[in-house]
Amino acid sequence: MGEQWAFYFDANKCIGCHACSVSCKQRHDRDSDQDEWRTVRNVESGEFPDVSSMPISMSCMHCSDAPCEKVCPCNSIEKREEDGIVTVDRDSCIGCHYCAWACPYGAPTYDDGGIMSKCNMCLGEGPGGGHDMPPREEQEDGGSTPACVDNCVGDAIKAGPVSELKAEASKEALERFASEPANVIVEADRDDDEAGAVTYEV
Amino acid sequence: GSTDRSAMPIANAETAFGNCWMCCHNCAQEVKVNDDTVVGITGVDGNPRGSAGPGTNGTLCPKGLAQLDKTHDPDRIKQPYIREDGELREATWDEAFEYTAERLREFDDEHGAETFLDAGSWAETPIFRTIWRDLYGTPERIGRGVHVCAGPTFVAGGMMGVGSNNRIPDYQNSEYLIMWGRNPLEAFAGQFEAKGILKAIEQNDATLVTIDPQYTETAEKSDEWLPIEPRTDGALALAMGHVIIQEGLLDLEFVQEHTYGFEAYQEAVEDKTPEWAEEITGIDADKIREIARGFAEAAPAAGISIWTGTAQVSNGWKASQNITALNGLVGNIDRPGGLRLWKGTPTADPFEVCEWTPDDKGTDVTIGVDLPNNAEGKEPALNKYEEYEEYPFRHIEGIAHNLVPEMVENGHINGIYCHHDMPLKDGNAEAWLDALDEMDLVIAVDAYWNGVTRNADVVFADATQLEKDTMGTGSWSAYPEHQWVVGGKAAVEPQFNTKPDWEILTGIAEAMGWGEYFPWDDHEEFINDQLQAVDLTLEELDSGEKNYELVGEYGYEQWRDEDGPAFSFDLDQVPTFVQAAEEAGMDTAPEWQPPGTYGDELGEEYPLNFFDIRSVFFSHGSDQGIDRCLDQFARKNELEDEDYRGNYLHLNPADAEPRGIETGDMVTVESETGEGELMAHVTETIKPGFVTAEYGFGEGSAQEDYEGMNTMKLHAKQMDPITGQPDRHIAVDVHNGGA
Repeated sequence: MGEQWAFYFDANKCIGCHACSVSCKQRHDRDSDQDEWRTVRNVESGEFPDVSSMPISMSCMHCSDAPCEKVCPCNSIEKREEDGIVTVDRDSCIGCHYCAWACPYGAPTYDDGGIMSKCNMCLGEGPGGGHDMPPREEQEDGGSTPACVDNCVGDAIKAGPVSELKAEASKEALERFASEPANVIVEADRDDDEAGAVTYEV
Repeated sequence: GSTDRSAMPIANAETAFGNCWMCCHNCAQEVKVNDDTVVGITGVDGNPRGSAGPGTNGTLCPKGLAQLDKTHDPDRIKQPYIREDGELREATWDEAFEYTAERLREFDDEHGAETFLDAGSWAETPIFRTIWRDLYGTPERIGRGVHVCAGPTFVAGGMMGVGSNNRIPDYQNSEYLIMWGRNPLEAFAGQFEAKGILKAIEQNDATLVTIDPQYTETAEKSDEWLPIEPRTDGALALAMGHVIIQEGLLDLEFVQEHTYGFEAYQEAVEDKTPEWAEEITGIDADKIREIARGFAEAAPAAGISIWTGTAQVSNGWKASQNITALNGLVGNIDRPGGLRLWKGTPTADPFEVCEWTPDDKGTDVTIGVDLPNNAEGKEPALNKYEEYEEYPFRHIEGIAHNLVPEMVENGHINGIYCHHDMPLKDGNAEAWLDALDEMDLVIAVDAYWNGVTRNADVVFADATQLEKDTMGTGSWSAYPEHQWVVGGKAAVEPQFNTKPDWEILTGIAEAMGWGEYFPWDDHEEFINDQLQAVDLTLEELDSGEKNYELVGEYGYEQWRDEDGPAFSFDLDQVPTFVQAAEEAGMDTAPEWQPPGTYGDELGEEYPLNFFDIRSVFFSHGSDQGIDRCLDQFARKNELEDEDYRGNYLHLNPADAEPRGIETGDMVTVESETGEGELMAHVTETIKPGFVTAEYGFGEGSAQEDYEGMNTMKLHAKQMDPITGQPDRHIAVDVHNGGA
């Protein structure tokens, strides 16, 4: 089994600009009004003047124990051994939406006649861009940088082999990472910022 | 569409470079081109405006990324048009040039060229000024910076000795940053601003303070958010000064040795206690003390940023003067982490340095172009006619945005050249719409249909930035000690039947018989002449791994090289200001001016303070028509499921509930002189009594269907008396339902 890849998201650096969503759609040639593979939400809480409005950028989490893969009746979804990226074979997908029901994060989308598509960590371009692609390579070895990572204005999103990402993460982020199925390391508690107490279940 | 790109992957496309012009702040672009189509776009690592400095990732913000969409947008103006029998009709380029020349000659005969207004600010070449001022001969020009962006910030800064550098502190070296009426994590002038702030937090553990009645992305990342009562910033600044002096936290050596007018300042703040300011600003006196101490103790590595928030207001002059004075007080002037005296990049004047061979001189090489100055001796109408004697700003400015409709009515301005400039979103829109109608000649250069292009007599279809050669320089950037230049050759051909503005302007010149003044074969040659001063060519900039160069180095404390004081608290030594201030009834030194001294006063009929704001998805009014920006903007407000794609009225539940307003309702905003309809967004993130909406939407905008509200339809003529800067605080009420 190859080294697993993951995303890293630092909520302290996300400025809610949506450049990740826009560049994702552009990289994969998706129309502006199509459902998003990567989307930004604002989690607003509190009452004036004690308010918080935290931007969170989310995509497919490429879960370590991917529930979508388990429920897919056509075996179209694959948690790839070689790099841990979850891909979909759109030729065998029948658009049954089981994966949508199983996914806790709302990652699968169904444009193009109801066939599932989602984030493929920019293994390739386009909705079928991940399936059957060779293992993910790092940029220095010729791999493309995922569009969201390449265009993150606040430098809040990273992607890479888990061991490399872990080396940069805080203790709290690593604890969260260990306890969640999502293959995403989330920094959210810089200093004593109360607004940081946010998890991905939104 | 959702085609699989496997046949034409971005990875295999050609690379070209650009120079983002969405907000005209030069973030460098790397684009991927396949078959004359832009298929990919991203930033350039380490570039001055779009990265956090050397070795950091270069990016583009969402509107910058949308240049990909804009390049091939089928909604663009695709060819020239001329007005015939009252209607715009498609025309060839030759027809459009000839028609323009004919109309310009008639205009000069009938009205005089000096009544033609040059509003060419956002062109990607500077030659519009050559054509309108030097050749056509008009002294009338309206710019964006002083006239509609932040007059008090620019002009007060200039008179106090720091220029307009009170906008961008030395972020990366700072330990304490106050964003005063600014939201640079979202409304930045180049992404380096947002990146510089994040870097200061990460590397210097800098304290970030945001002063804003609205809770913004910047407030979210701040250690302190002070939701100040609108239009009371001047009082807060004076109280901070009071604390700094009283507690001996000022830089006494700097104040004594390098400033002017401190006695007047000391007197102005003497009784301005934090308790006094608490009453006015709504900010706790202890909090004011805390911020004042934090700022002064971190100084000189402490900076303040002001721009539009404290300037687009009738008492904005004093707010700007009082806030800027804090820099002089703590001695952060041009010191690391403080207020930086940013230095621009020198470029050569191509009209002086070009080498060319005139047709009638065989092989003799001539240096320079002998341009006439046909505007010489012509006085702008504002200074010439007694109709404008009541306006103090005539001592300081040559024109004021809100006065143009009046000048049209008086026959002092009869035509306009408008280039990407959207005057309809910058003040008294209703009067401007009438004025455009009234003018005898409206020449528009733009990529989108909007209230100006639709009302024009001739419309030139401008190519957009990636379709032309561009070069940019600036001062502030992620390189606090370097000057820089960024440029790129056209990445694709001009799309549709459009032309780059260089060709549009030289085409007009040719038709007017001024061809001899433009000896360059193309814009690239002209840019190369500009670049002579830094010993570069556009080809050199555009080839290789990146498209920018650092071209000069400069140090801190540059005021040591100048004679006289580095900083002035009191402006009694500036004769033009003394005159204007006297007529406006204000002091030359810092002082407190309550809201309503000049602008609107809130009352029973109009109890809410409206102000218009920016969003990260849109710039100065030219890209409100791009679907990708509109859709993301709707998502950001969690209203993407509505059909509506206009701007939103943000209001607190305390103001919404009594009016029966909920998020998603269409509401009417009404001022004494105008009204508009838009969708409500009820949120706890805004101060009760304060309501905002993004500008650049609604009637006259670049949106295809004019959806939303043109915020400036609410506006009459409110302005700062010293600079004529439109005051965008308007007394309004809001009610549920359409107009």
